[in-house]
Amino acid sequence: MKGYLKYFSGKLAWFLVTLVAAFILNFILPRLMPGDPVAIITQRVVQGMTSQAGVQKVYEQYAELFGTNKPIHEQFIIYMRNIVQGNFGLSFSQYPRPVADILKSSIWWTIALQFPAIIVGWLLGNTLGALAAYLKKGFDKVLMPISIFISNLPAFGMAVILLVIFAVRLKWFPTAGGYGFDMIPNFSWDYIKSVLIHYQLPFWSIVLISIGGQAIGMRAMSIYELNADYVKYSRFLGIKDRKIIGYVFRNAMLPQITGLALSIGTMVGGALVAEIIFSYPGLGSTLLTAVMGQDYPLISASTLIITLMVLIANFLIEILYGVIDPRIKAAQIE
Amino acid sequence: MKKRLLFVLSFVLIFSMFLTACQPEEVEEVVEEVVEEVVEEPEVEEPEVEEPEEEPVAAGPDLDPADVAASLPREETLYIAGLQWSAVVGWNPYSSANNNAMGVAAGSNARVPIFETPYMYNMINGEQIPLLADGDWEWNEDMTEATFKIKEVAKWSDGTPVTAEDVAYTWATHVKYETTAGVGYGEYIETVEAVDPLTVVVKAKLDEEGKAVNPLLVRAYISSEYVVQKAWTETLEARAGGDATAFKEDPAMDFVSSGPYTKFYDDDQKVVFIRDDNYWGQDASMFGSLPVPKYLAHTIYADNNAGFLALKAGEVDVSQQFNANVQDLWLVDNLPISTWMDDAPYGLTASLPTAYFNLESYGLDNIAVRKAIAYAVDYDTIIANAMTNQSPTFDQVPRSVMNPTAGEQALYDQAAVADLQWVGNDIEGAKAILDEAGIVDTDGDGWRELDGQKLSYNAVCPNGWSDWQAAMEIVAAAGEKIGIEITTLYPEWGVYQTVFVNGDQQEYDIFMVWSDGAGPTQPWGRVRQLMYSKFAETQGNWNGNWGGYINPRIDEIITEIPATTDQARLVELYTEATEIYLTDIPSFTLMYRPDQFYTVNESVWTNYPSADDGRNIPPMNLLDGYSIAGLYELELVNP
Repeated sequence: MKGYLKYFSGKLAWFLVTLVAAFILNFILPRLMPGDPVAIITQRVVQGMTSQAGVQKVYEQYAELFGTNKPIHEQFIIYMRNIVQGNFGLSFSQYPRPVADILKSSIWWTIALQFPAIIVGWLLGNTLGALAAYLKKGFDKVLMPISIFISNLPAFGMAVILLVIFAVRLKWFPTAGGYGFDMIPNFSWDYIKSVLIHYQLPFWSIVLISIGGQAIGMRAMSIYELNADYVKYSRFLGIKDRKIIGYVFRNAMLPQITGLALSIGTMVGGALVAEIIFSYPGLGSTLLTAVMGQDYPLISASTLIITLMVLIANFLIEILYGVIDPRIKAAQIE
Repeated sequence: MKKRLLFVLSFVLIFSMFLTACQPEEVEEVVEEVVEEVVEEPEVEEPEVEEPEEEPVAAGPDLDPADVAASLPREETLYIAGLQWSAVVGWNPYSSANNNAMGVAAGSNARVPIFETPYMYNMINGEQIPLLADGDWEWNEDMTEATFKIKEVAKWSDGTPVTAEDVAYTWATHVKYETTAGVGYGEYIETVEAVDPLTVVVKAKLDEEGKAVNPLLVRAYISSEYVVQKAWTETLEARAGGDATAFKEDPAMDFVSSGPYTKFYDDDQKVVFIRDDNYWGQDASMFGSLPVPKYLAHTIYADNNAGFLALKAGEVDVSQQFNANVQDLWLVDNLPISTWMDDAPYGLTASLPTAYFNLESYGLDNIAVRKAIAYAVDYDTIIANAMTNQSPTFDQVPRSVMNPTAGEQALYDQAAVADLQWVGNDIEGAKAILDEAGIVDTDGDGWRELDGQKLSYNAVCPNGWSDWQAAMEIVAAAGEKIGIEITTLYPEWGVYQTVFVNGDQQEYDIFMVWSDGAGPTQPWGRVRQLMYSKFAETQGNWNGNWGGYINPRIDEIITEIPATTDQARLVELYTEATEIYLTDIPSFTLMYRPDQFYTVNESVWTNYPSADDGRNIPPMNLLDGYSIAGLYELELVNP
């Protein structure tokens, strides 16, 4: 028990150190980008304004408001103070909308699209990979090339192919949006149906890509394990095949779980392509607009969420590993 | 083992189902929000009304978005695309940061579905047509005061009349809270006064000689800026507690307006307006009826391509996007889609995307170098490739400082400058100019030198602006043909726009910037934008003359034009300005471009304004300035 405690507290300490470092980087990196966000806002606001002094004045008003005219360490202190109070500030690009409001309205779309897609892709991929390793022959010969082919399609390629075939040509699914272009969100069967129909293409564009990669990984791991000494030894001892396969997949699964944790952590970035191509609402496209508009508060808040998700996913996995695989804990606390 | 695996699998599945279920939950939330919003409205729309003449009529939707249920009736909804690219932030007519492109956009062709201006600008002929105002406005004898009347029938959405006091108070508020309008017009307008309940006088700021600083800007103000209700403004002020930032940040969900539409629903994916059936403009003295579509809706697409697909699918009726090869939509795809004109250039072009020479770059201060580059560029290819022929060629509309509209073309004497109006792709001519100036290749490397130094430039525009990038490639190709090295450079917009606005920047040599389109101050505003010396010396310059051109004569012309009323004198001045521009070539126009692209899908609605239909309604989304008249003309394809 003491061993576990030491293991956990060690992990927790590292988790906190990484979090602080990431937090500082999240603040600094967007601000190192060349360009001036206040100038972007000014440009938008002063279109058609003929007075040069007026333009300058507008610029100064916004610089003052966003604090970009203050030295960076002062900006950081203000940022810290706000974050501690749970205040992400006002967005630059969608000023005066609060960053929290923007995130709140987009993050659920991303999670609802990505989480099931990642899980389904992971489950299907691993099952297929394990089957390929176990059944070999015909199944493997067909599955492998298809998996390799699909997993190497870039995500936007898959999305565009689905879009062109199923939305533009066959017109089975809509081309854009999270719900019907003629709808007002409403708790009715028609609306839910519309959401589900709009969900299909973005969902499958993510699932299909991830199936291939997962299957290849799982197949390779399984083949390696199937040929491991302990398998041969168990067979030699006459242990039942089913029992052996249980062990094999449990071992082969470990690296796949890491992969799953990471893809859950990075789902916001992963959603970007599907969100853009299908005009699907969500955090990915929000982040992209934020970067294009040099919206520091929105970039920092989005990346902070991503950082937290990755860190927490990793932390949980490490903890889980300690439980699932005693070897890891043993190796770490020595 | 198997059991445990099964357990894990089923847990994961159930968990994912649970998360998927988040969606309807969110839907519920949204609906709740909407309901709340709508319920809230009547409560705030009871401002202390001064002299209420009629029973205040509840403004805004008398329909709950939730009642319209899952869908907006297609035959009552006009779908617009290309204006709104992210969620609406606010409805505050005093703020420039509403990101409410379909609803709140003051300016030369002010967007008037919700808030209204005294006059509507018609870009086709430059007329200002009365909206809230009654009849034409008039200058006093010295051109220092403009007077107009407010229509007696004009009403706010709460039923109270629009008064001259509202107009005056709006201006005072702009000044007090230093809004964009207040700061922008502050140099030109002294006060706006209500002489009686219906008469407004706009007094110009005067210079030392007692003349208006700039009468053109006074003229622009009355068709560019909204009139806001005084009573509601006071509510907003009370809420902000006198703080200017809070005042401008207020999203103004409770706004009172005078236009034919008001907000109905908006989220990250769409904006919907609903018609106010009590709109005052149905009076015979104005439009005589209500606008035809009950709803105006704008889906927020991720990019141009998504909007284009939706237009093809009939999910968009009016598209303000650049759709490359637009004619293919009807010629190849056989869709019921059309534009302002059936043949190239398809639209009404009004602005002049221009390449500026940085006069501080080595050699670009030499007129021979500038002239040679400008002569060598193949504009026909730019127009054919970058604009897919949605611009007239320089054969059709010879270059000047004017846009191609008839009104502006009539303002200069084309014959007087015909010798200067190059068409382009004149490689031999360009080479001859350089040879004559002694700018030749002395070291045999294929590139020309000026005083021993090789001429090498970059041609720059923002990344992703594909038509501009195509144009810059053609400029670079022209350089190569005449022995001047030009390489293209495409920084991100965020970077680009912080560099070119600085007068002393050394990074960009030849760079593209848009030009003013049509408006009440044009073409004066454009002449000023292209050449006014004062802009050359400023940092953070969003106004013009980005190459740093200095010419005292052009400054005199720019000062003289606004106060000139004699048409012949105006033509003289504009002709001289054109002559200077085409002789000194501080920058050169690459193509013509519409103020707003205009492609309409006639699968649901028809009878859209088009060229030569005699209605004189400009092709501007049916929302901007006088183009809103188009909303009253629409007809259903299948009534």
